[in-house]
Amino acid sequence: MKIFQVALGILAAIGGFVDIGDLVFNVSAGATFGYQLLWVIVIGVVGIITYSEMCGRVAAISGKAVFDAVRERLGFKTGLMALIAAQVVNLMTLTAEIGGVAICLQLLSGLPYRWLILIAGIALAVVVWVTSFDWIERIFGYGGLCLLVFAVAAVKLHPAWGAVAHGFVPHVETKSPLLYAYFAIGLLGAAMTPYEVYFYSSGGVEERWGPKDLGLNKANALIGYGLGGFLSFALMIVGGSLFLDKGIEPEFLGSITMGAEVPLGEIGLLLALVGILFAVGGAAIDTLFSGAYALAQFLGWEWGRYRHPRGAPRFTVTWLVLLVVALGLVMTGVDPVQLTEYAVIFSAVALPLTYIPILLVANDRSYMREYTNGKLANFLGLIYLVVVLVISLSAIPLMILTNVGQN
Amino acid sequence: MSDSINIGLHLVDRQLLDSEGRRCGNVDDLALEGNPGEPLEVVAILSGPGVWGQRAGLLGRFFGWLGGGRTVRIAWEDVENVAAHVKLRKHAKELVLGRGGERLRPLLDKIPGADQ
Repeated sequence: MKIFQVALGILAAIGGFVDIGDLVFNVSAGATFGYQLLWVIVIGVVGIITYSEMCGRVAAISGKAVFDAVRERLGFKTGLMALIAAQVVNLMTLTAEIGGVAICLQLLSGLPYRWLILIAGIALAVVVWVTSFDWIERIFGYGGLCLLVFAVAAVKLHPAWGAVAHGFVPHVETKSPLLYAYFAIGLLGAAMTPYEVYFYSSGGVEERWGPKDLGLNKANALIGYGLGGFLSFALMIVGGSLFLDKGIEPEFLGSITMGAEVPLGEIGLLLALVGILFAVGGAAIDTLFSGAYALAQFLGWEWGRYRHPRGAPRFTVTWLVLLVVALGLVMTGVDPVQLTEYAVIFSAVALPLTYIPILLVANDRSYMREYTNGKLANFLGLIYLVVVLVISLSAIPLMILTNVGQN
Repeated sequence: MSDSINIGLHLVDRQLLDSEGRRCGNVDDLALEGNPGEPLEVVAILSGPGVWGQRAGLLGRFFGWLGGGRTVRIAWEDVENVAAHVKLRKHAKELVLGRGGERLRPLLDKIPGADQ
């Protein structure tokens, strides 16, 4: 039973890790720099594992989710700024994910895009309204597993494995170091997107984790995000083998699916589309809830999907409103892939406001008792705090200098 | 929990839970009393948009206005304990907390399946 539970958590983590931001940044990084940036994925994955484990532990021991900690440690004023930043970025991400779902549906069905946006929105609302929290995680986690087709594709494309191995060694070997740095920051931002920890920690509270679930938390974070990182490797290798030096910019979701279609044919294409549909759909629900979690936790409202919708009215109304606003934004015809790029870069700027409070709370003996951070968690936590500060300060300048990665 | 707590770190901005364990607001501010030369005493917890202006200037005042500007005063006697959350002795309704949610509830009840 325990193993079954761990398996479910892991599946959910894979589904929650790979979203439209990861798809776009990993494949474009491969298309631009081949396998050179694989090492950056490793750094990003270790970072998200470190902080997810930390905030999951805080949730299990104290019942506090991330935005409780933000409010408590940053105070009302700075916390309010963090909340506004989080909501803006989160809404951009949600809009991009819904757009991504609609594009997938369009590639699968050939129906007009605008109708599919509406269908995607209604489908998401119905799924969230009628399905329980753990089933939402299961459905989208299992569906997202179809993305493993990219791992098969990566092998079938016969990459130069020596070059792949070399990609895991940190190095800069390029004529355009700024663009290289921009992609590095984008990959880290996509791997460590704040909504992942909002959702992960709130999910721990939703599932009523306690001290006995700390092993489950560790396994989920370690293996789940580890496998998510594995998928990221596959996507970048596919991008590198298929698009590098061919002058193709994978700026459409359709060209990303080519990565599975070229080596594996129609079945590859279908699996890729279904995988992307569920991964991005799951991420849409994650971001939808994350926005509502953040607001409710900051203001002390009752929240959670474990309460039926009328049991947490303001939380429910918040996610309903967010969904409607995001649908309106997708309807304006904004390009989801481009929006994703902006969302990832802006979220990189706001990263410290999310991660600093987690590190502080995880060290608070008054309610974490003997479960405060160990030496390893604090060592990694501090290193990643520096990483996150560097990312935060350099993201916007790099975006401007590289013309959003276009030069 | 020890007998003394740092009210800036361990009381302000904490989650309020009512007698049934439901979340019903945050500790937005405190009411302190005391005569000159005597130690100050916390007499009440203040919760609600009405005090946001004092916490965050113009931005706080704007959101406080947006939130309706009410403040609820919870007497210190009604606080059961302060741990990771601040537990209250009374039901949220009795303390007039969480009214915004109560007002939205009839709206949600019109959608089928809202109680599942």
